[in-house]
Amino acid sequence: MKIVTLERILKLGLTNFWRNRWLSLAATFVMTITLLTISIFTILNLVIQATSESVKSKIDMTVSFYDNVEEEKIQSLETALATMAVVKSTHYIDKDEALSIWQTLPIKDRTKQLVTKDSNPLPRSLQIKAYNPEDLSKVAEFFDNYKPLISRISYENNKDIIQRLINITKFIKQIGWIISLIFITISVLIILNTIRLTIFTRKDEIEIMKLVGASDFFVRIPFIIEGALYGILASILSTFLLYLAIHFISPMVSSYLGTVAFDLNLFFGLNFWRIFLLQLGAGSFIGIACSLFSAHRYLKV
Amino acid sequence: MKFFFDKKNENGEPNKEQEGPLIEFNEVSKKYGQIIALYKVNLKIKRGEFVCLVGPSGAGKSTVLRLLIREEKPTKGHIAIAGRDINRLRHKELPFLRRKIGMVFQDYKLLPNKNVCENVAYALEVCDATKGEIAHKVPKIIELVGLAERTNSYPKELSGGEEQRVSIARALVHAPRLLIADEPTGNLDHDNAREIVQLLLKINQADTTVILATHNRDIVNNLRKRVVTMREGKIISDQMQGKYII
Repeated sequence: MKIVTLERILKLGLTNFWRNRWLSLAATFVMTITLLTISIFTILNLVIQATSESVKSKIDMTVSFYDNVEEEKIQSLETALATMAVVKSTHYIDKDEALSIWQTLPIKDRTKQLVTKDSNPLPRSLQIKAYNPEDLSKVAEFFDNYKPLISRISYENNKDIIQRLINITKFIKQIGWIISLIFITISVLIILNTIRLTIFTRKDEIEIMKLVGASDFFVRIPFIIEGALYGILASILSTFLLYLAIHFISPMVSSYLGTVAFDLNLFFGLNFWRIFLLQLGAGSFIGIACSLFSAHRYLKV
Repeated sequence: MKFFFDKKNENGEPNKEQEGPLIEFNEVSKKYGQIIALYKVNLKIKRGEFVCLVGPSGAGKSTVLRLLIREEKPTKGHIAIAGRDINRLRHKELPFLRRKIGMVFQDYKLLPNKNVCENVAYALEVCDATKGEIAHKVPKIIELVGLAERTNSYPKELSGGEEQRVSIARALVHAPRLLIADEPTGNLDHDNAREIVQLLLKINQADTTVILATHNRDIVNNLRKRVVTMREGKIISDQMQGKYII
């Protein structure tokens, strides 16, 4: 293709964008909403995922031992546990550490004082975390053979709650993606329809261009440029709006969810260019694809 | 498609396709649903001819012209231009055919978002003309059709007659080998109409074949050129130095 043709086509695309500025503005605005919808739901899913991972990472299992069990035995069990593929970490809590934990518990001081260094009935225990909390049941099975040594397994008591928590996080994650997909599909359909309308209003123009000898390529490229422009402008606008939204929403999320919350501000700051470039890519792709799809049917003249 | 209409082919040898008639309609019929627009039309037009296509509304004149630029395909029959059956042209070959033809549309068909100058230049842009060529040819042809003062006006700011002249300028600017004009004087007053016809004659003298579809009895009678008369989709008369007979 000649450079003069390329230059001419680029100029035609830019001129068309400007001369149809109301339609262009409407399409850019709808594209901005599409990109915002995609971004918000993607980020929302990340938040849900991070929050549920954070909740899940807090689920652990505590195995308490009778006082007469030798320390070496407990350590050998800890070593055996560490070799299990499902186990993420183990932590041995001796009597002193148990006491210091006891003292941080939100209970009355009088009760606290019942336990001292010299008179410490608190058991020694192993705190075990699994990569996947669902696998804690396997760890519990491991201890079946050592029941005489064990005074208590927290998992047995919390089994139902843990299972319920796991199910809820799973459900929220799935629902999150399903709702996101529905909204993203709807917004893409809306932008497709908007671009189809902008091109429909110019179908006579396309016909005239073809009748005076323009090739499909010559007619199509300016529309592609217009589609890309919708995407480029919308991605800038959408990133800016997203920044504003996150800036105001992030403190609210943090105060509501506390320590398990995902730091949105930090996330946005660290991933600014990635977010912008992804929006730019998605916007340009959607704009170009919709323009190509919509112009195609009128090129048959 | 490079040698379409050209006197020499790609190897510089005389183009054999140039020896026969420029346009040949062979038993061409066109139906729109149940309506017969053309019925078994046979027509030959030689290179450099000036042909007036006359007849009442609905006679099939516009259909003949639309078939020539492959805006439509015939229901039956063959149409050849420079020896090539244009019904068999592939979609991507159509622009090459249309770039060799200048067409003045009855409804002007101007691009609404382009001004007079840009509308005329578009016909050159699609042909890959250089900026220099465009800068040289466009103002000249706009002046020729008497619109020098309206160069920057948009179609919606022009009168019907002015729009028609832009359409004529666009059809002529790339010096087509075949000029098709569908009622080019329909919206012009007597003097303007005469000027346009003089312009068409001048173009014809420069070896461009001209087909003029018109209702205008005076123009046809004064021209003393070949007159093909149509009625109800058929050719009812074809006279070499004819008159408007209906």
